[in-house]
Amino acid sequence: MQNEQEFSKAEKFWMNFKLYQLWRFIVLNVKIYTIAVQSKFH
Amino acid sequence: MAKVLVIGAGFAGHTTALYLGNKLGRQHEITVMSNRDVFGYVPSWVWVGVGHMKPEQTIFKLKPVYDRMHVKFVHAAAKEIHPDASDQYVLGEEIGSGKEVRLDYDYLVIAPGPLLNFAGTPGLGPETGFTHSICSLPHAVKTRDAYLALCERMKKGEKVKIVIGTGHPGATCQGAAFEYIVNVHKDLLKKGLRDKADILWLSNEPELGDFGVNGVQIKRNGIVQKSSEFIKSVFNDHGIRYQVQTGVTKVEEGKIHWQNYEGEEGATDFDFSMLIPQFKGQPFKYIGKDGSDVSSKMVNPAGFVLVDGKYGLPYPELSQTPEAWPAQYNNPTYPNVFAAGIAFAPPGPISKPFTNKNSLLIAPAPPRTGMVSGVIGRVVAMNIADLIQTGKMNHSERMTEMVAACIASMGDNLWDGNAVTIVMRPVVPDRKKYSNEFGRDLFISHLEMGVSGAWMKFMLHYTFIWKFKGLFGWKLIPE
Ligand SMILES: Cc1cc2nc3c(=O)[nH]c(=O)nc-3n(C[C@H](O)[C@H](O)[C@H](O)COP(=O)(O)OP(=O)(O)OC[C@H]3O[C@@H](n4cnc5c(N)ncnc54)[C@H](O)[C@@H]3O)c2cc1C
Repeated sequence: MQNEQEFSKAEKFWMNFKLYQLWRFIVLNVKIYTIAVQSKFH
Repeated sequence: MAKVLVIGAGFAGHTTALYLGNKLGRQHEITVMSNRDVFGYVPSWVWVGVGHMKPEQTIFKLKPVYDRMHVKFVHAAAKEIHPDASDQYVLGEEIGSGKEVRLDYDYLVIAPGPLLNFAGTPGLGPETGFTHSICSLPHAVKTRDAYLALCERMKKGEKVKIVIGTGHPGATCQGAAFEYIVNVHKDLLKKGLRDKADILWLSNEPELGDFGVNGVQIKRNGIVQKSSEFIKSVFNDHGIRYQVQTGVTKVEEGKIHWQNYEGEEGATDFDFSMLIPQFKGQPFKYIGKDGSDVSSKMVNPAGFVLVDGKYGLPYPELSQTPEAWPAQYNNPTYPNVFAAGIAFAPPGPISKPFTNKNSLLIAPAPPRTGMVSGVIGRVVAMNIADLIQTGKMNHSERMTEMVAACIASMGDNLWDGNAVTIVMRPVVPDRKKYSNEFGRDLFISHLEMGVSGAWMKFMLHYTFIWKFKGLFGWKLIPE
């Protein structure tokens, strides 16, 4: 966020840039899966 | 042979039933009593409410799944619970015939989700009031129809006022309302009607992005970012006006009455409104062996089932006492009775409550999201299996230990849709374990917006329906 009120142009660009978003899709899936699966051992 | 009875087949009850069926179904009697014969994938009702998903894509029949998983299914609504030793059974009413059904149990899991208490706010709700809801599938369908009719009026040039948020000072589930408001914005944009609508977020949260969990905080490049700033940016970007710290007290045709933290009373006009009602526990009768009412041993005044939490702590003390949150979700008086999902009584709010000068308590109730409900459902199932097989429970997970991941949809289109990916650890701050002021793991907690979130939300719909159908590899998919 460029300030507390709105997203910058660069942030909006990355939010829609499909190749970068594919990378984020993979990273977020791995992150969420690895932390969520830990709960199974409780 | 032990008899285990589960009331309700939602995120919590159905998860419990799948694990119990898998672990015990061949040797013991596992039964689910549910008033609906389908499982409903609730998160996608946001899309039903804007007409982007067919209702039938969000449900599937339970019986074929339970037949495969060695679980009996009884299509009935539970009414009475008799928890006293040697007299343990549940009475229900069979759906369709209205016949009384009696099911005995050795272990009982109460997981019927919330009673949608529209009556708590005069004029609220789609049945006897003036607002809409997406908290049940019939409500979401009705909301969609009203929303699409509104779009037709806008196409003719009419300017309209849309209000979305919470409809009671103690409501929860702000996340679902947030998803709905942003999906409405996005849909109107696509239809070329956005300039015809004034959209307002009206909520009981202490600040934007609180979501009933005291907000989400993350650390990025050494700087702490908060969901309050993040959601403010989203609303500013989308031209959505917002009013928080507000408890809705009454609704009339086209007018929402409210009070705020300052004790001011006001009214907001609307043409279309979706407001989440207060949630209460299901109004079961709890009856002892001698016919007496044993409700006070089983439930709190709101009807949520008392479990192994520490109740009655004032907020400042509760917020510093992570061990006050329940770990194994069984009732102290009747330890073979468990509660999972929205049905269990939390020891208090997560967000800071506020009472205004007119003594109106404006305090979001703690959300028990799908993931939290599923995790509790699994913990309960594993402990019941332990009790039957070894006589003692080995599993526990407090909300002060739990991770929650939530993908808040902001438009479902896979090309230009969007979503906020939220990860919180733990759901309820643990200020003893995490020394920062938020009581959260700022490294694991995460907040990110982008089209990848829309892909994840879409993927989750199909992945979870796969899991809930108990299909190949279902146990590998986390709750
Ligand atoms: C629109 C919306 C979107 C949401 N999106 C998300 C999301 O993206 N992520 C997330 O984590 N959470 C989300 N949630 C929250 C999530 O849906 C709930 O936390 C979850 O459904 C709670 O599970 P539960 O099993 O306690 O209750 P429910 O899912 O409500 O299930 C209760 C079951 O009990 C049955 N029942 C009720 N009364 C009786 C009775 N008397 N006898 C027998 N059976 C009965 C009901 O028919 C139902 O099948 C959303 C909620 C809403 C409303």
